[in-house]
Amino acid sequence: MTLKEITAKVLGMDANKINGKTSRESTSEWDSFNHLLLVSEIEKEFDIKLKMDEVNTIKTFADLEKILRTHGK
Amino acid sequence: MPKKEVAELNTTADYIRAYKNKAVLSSLPNNVKKLRVAILASSTINGLKEVLSIKSRDFGIDADVYVGEYNQYTREILDDKSELYTHKSDVIFLFIDTRAIKDSFFLNKKEDSWVNEKFAEIKSLIEKLEEKTSATIIIHNFERLTNSPLGILANKEKNSFTEMVGELNRKLVKETMDNRRVFIFDYDNFLAKVGKEKAFDPKFYYLADIKLNLELLPELAEAYIKYLIPIAGLTKKCLVLDLDGILWGGIIGEDGLSGIKLGPTPEGRPFWELQQYILALREQGVILAINSKNNLADVQSVFKKHPYCLLKDEHFAALEINWNDKIANMKKLAADLNIGLDSFVFLDDDKTNRMIVREALPEVLTLEMPDDPALYLRTLSNLPFFNKLKITEEDRKRGDQYREEKKRTEFKSVATNMDEYLKGLDIKVEIKKADKFTIPRIAQLISKTNQFNTTTKRYSETEVAKMANSKDYLIISIKAEDRFGDSGITGVAIIKMGSINWHIDSYLLSCRILGKEIETTFLWYILEEAKKVKVTDVTADFIKTAKNVVSAPFFKKSGFELLNSSDVKETWKFDLKKKFTKPAFIKIVKA
Repeated sequence: MTLKEITAKVLGMDANKINGKTSRESTSEWDSFNHLLLVSEIEKEFDIKLKMDEVNTIKTFADLEKILRTHGK
Repeated sequence: MPKKEVAELNTTADYIRAYKNKAVLSSLPNNVKKLRVAILASSTINGLKEVLSIKSRDFGIDADVYVGEYNQYTREILDDKSELYTHKSDVIFLFIDTRAIKDSFFLNKKEDSWVNEKFAEIKSLIEKLEEKTSATIIIHNFERLTNSPLGILANKEKNSFTEMVGELNRKLVKETMDNRRVFIFDYDNFLAKVGKEKAFDPKFYYLADIKLNLELLPELAEAYIKYLIPIAGLTKKCLVLDLDGILWGGIIGEDGLSGIKLGPTPEGRPFWELQQYILALREQGVILAINSKNNLADVQSVFKKHPYCLLKDEHFAALEINWNDKIANMKKLAADLNIGLDSFVFLDDDKTNRMIVREALPEVLTLEMPDDPALYLRTLSNLPFFNKLKITEEDRKRGDQYREEKKRTEFKSVATNMDEYLKGLDIKVEIKKADKFTIPRIAQLISKTNQFNTTTKRYSETEVAKMANSKDYLIISIKAEDRFGDSGITGVAIIKMGSINWHIDSYLLSCRILGKEIETTFLWYILEEAKKVKVTDVTADFIKTAKNVVSAPFFKKSGFELLNSSDVKETWKFDLKKKFTKPAFIKIVKA
């Protein structure tokens, strides 16, 4: 699964509607529990572990993409 | 087992998505059992409700799940008016986490009283739940943490937290050992199985007090379902086995007695241990049967002569070893054993056979077997469907009872007529009021008897005990034996006693003993008891289900008159001035 597909699944959104600017603030489904669920699903799918700090700094879909790159994915 | 609209679900997010998708929920089959489940937890378990609700469907259960507020379990249990009590749960899980019950678990100060205090606290919560509900209560035991600062001395030093938790766990088990309603879920062992470090991600704990990783919620749900299955009465009764490639490696017809793989060798051990496991299942009441394409003589030679074949002819209640197709054989087994196909679990190593059986007989649970025999035992032991809430004396005797039944059938085939057969059986029955020794078995019969059951009302053990102690109800059971063996308690009647009328609320008998007029004798007893207290008539309902057609003619045949009837329910009445004859060949022994 792609990052976008995972995000769409967790947030219950259409993947086409997700872009770099999709943010926690502007997306009601992206609440604190779904945020952690999203991290958990990403970790499982890409076989990586995010740091606590990273989990806290993610505010937008672009942040997610950036962090995934720093983990070499 | 309903197949399988949620089979593609893998991760926790998949389950949550499916739960939120109303279309999925409403499209689910309607023959599922409804259960009300409450979960109280000390830490964050968001997501468990959704995962458990969806996953339960796979096992034929429609779970209405209530999750208590975060870390409010004590208040909810102590407050009579809490939401927990308005939920009216059938099952309550109490999930208190180790890290929640102690402020600091690294300092090993002298704390002699800690275990006793915690134990008393939990005990009082359990007692309150027992008093306020009629639910089955399931208490998580506590994780023994793996990060003790004592290191290798964690089980040498007296005040080691690891050991204190171990002691608390042992005390909980001991306390509830004989309690029929309260179960200790070995959560520590569950975590050991999935891996404690895999189960616990410190960042989720620090960020949100999540102590079980979200990705493991489906595993926890499955562990919970092991309890839900017997509570919903979905325990399977019979394990049907293929032979070649299941009970031994190789093909007996080709490899011969010395060529098959079975016993303490690398290739033989997986089969040998599987046989040990299956034999243990039999000892706790699972009926064994064979459905195999083979020459009977070849198979008999393995049973008789192979030094490591633990399963013998006598362990099987029925054998279909022939060249007929597996579907016909399966139907024959169900008919011979007099149990429904939906009580069968089928083990076959051949993919095509599994497909054929699954296609033709979807009610049989055909287990998906791994290609590697080394994994057979794990596959079978992970199956939740043989779980029971208790093992009764009847369970332990069941295997032998089926063997006795085979002898009965042989005896019947040589008797010249039915009367001679019944007389020759030398049947004795013992009828007695429910007491604490018989109530577990009575509750078991109530929960699983489908065919000869006039109203199919399901009562929990607690409800049965309550009725048995009430002046308004008479609960009696019947135990039968004949020259071939003892069938144990195989029938139950619940009667609501009024001053002029007795009403038969429930009347059920195990199919195994039908056809010998034991059911008539049991009814005669009730009518006689009613006469003794000057009751004028006895009434009874017949409530039609998909499975109880065999009991439909019973009241009419017994001389009852129909009072009224609708599509689903008939009410029958017997005027006690009428004569009712007891079958002459059955002896009633006073208990």
